[in-house]
Amino acid sequence: MKCYVCAKEGRDTDAVAVCIVCGMGLCMDHAIREETDVWEGGYPFPAKKVKQSLPRILCPECSLAMKGDG
Amino acid sequence: MASLVKRSVAELVGTMLLVYFGCGAAVITLTTAARESGPLQSLTIGSLGGLADWLAIGLAFGIVIAAVIYGLGRVSGAHINPAVTIALFASKRFPVTDTVVYIVAQLVGGLLGSIFFYLSAGMDAVTIGGLGATAPAGGITFGMAVLAEVIGTFVLMMVIMGVAVDEKAPPGFAGLIIGLTVAGIITTIGGLTGSSLNPARSFGPAVGDLLLGGPDVMGAFPIYIIGPILGALIAVFFYDWVVKED
Repeated sequence: MKCYVCAKEGRDTDAVAVCIVCGMGLCMDHAIREETDVWEGGYPFPAKKVKQSLPRILCPECSLAMKGDG
Repeated sequence: MASLVKRSVAELVGTMLLVYFGCGAAVITLTTAARESGPLQSLTIGSLGGLADWLAIGLAFGIVIAAVIYGLGRVSGAHINPAVTIALFASKRFPVTDTVVYIVAQLVGGLLGSIFFYLSAGMDAVTIGGLGATAPAGGITFGMAVLAEVIGTFVLMMVIMGVAVDEKAPPGFAGLIIGLTVAGIITTIGGLTGSSLNPARSFGPAVGDLLLGGPDVMGAFPIYIIGPILGALIAVFFYDWVVKED
C-alpha cells in the first residue's frame, strides 16, 4: 500500500500505517499517532487510569476533524 | 484514580443529595397532607394517596440514586450508603482506610442533606415532616423492622452485585436498575419501617431532628444500622457463593 497523501502530491511512498477513521494508507511523515487514556473500574468502584495508553493512528485530515472547530 | 479527599467529597455530596431529595419527598408528602387535612389530624405517609405516596417517595429516592451513580459513580463509586461500603470491604473488594473515610463522609453528607432541606423548607419540615426520619409503623416490632430492612437491603446489594460488581454485567444499566430497585423496595417496605436500607439516610434526619427540635427517633436508629448492614453482608456473600462455578 502507498501513502495516499504523498500520492496526491505526486510522490510514491510506501505506507507504514492506516488511518483508523478513513482507512487511508500513510507514510511515517503523514501518520499522526495519538495516545488515548484507558480507564478501568467505575461504579461501584472508583475509575482508575491504567499505565498504558491506547495508540491511535490518524491521517492529518481526520486528526484535524477530530479536534473540531475549537 | 481521584484522591481519597476528592472521592470522599463525592460520597459526601452524593449522600447529601440522596437525603435532600429522598427524605425531602417524604417531608413534602407529610406537609402536603397536613395542609389538606389540618394539623390536628394524625398524619402518616399514605394519608394522601395510600401506596401511591410510597411509590412517589420511592421514585424520588430512585431517581436521585440514578443521578448520583451516573454523575459521580466513576469518581468515588457512588456507594452513598455505609452498608454497601462495608459489604464491599468485607468481601475484600474495598480497602479498610477508604471504607472508614467513606462512612464518615456518608454520615456527614446525610446530616448536611437534612440541614439543607430544613433551610429550604422551613420549620414545618422538622415539626410536621420530621425531616423524613425513619421509624417503624405502629404494630411493627424491633425484630420485624430489622427483618424487613435486612430483606430490603439484601435485594439492593444483590442487584448491585449483579448489575455492577460482576464483570459479566452489561455496562451502562447500573444507575437505572439500582434506582428502580430502590423505588420498588421503598414502595413495599416503606409502610413497615420507612425503608431506609441505608444507615446514613437514617442518620441525617435523626440527628437533624435532635439538633432542630424535631421528633426523637434515635431509639429506633439501631434498626437502621443492624438491618441494612446485615442485609448487605448476606447479599454479598450469597452472590459470591451462588455465582461461583462448581
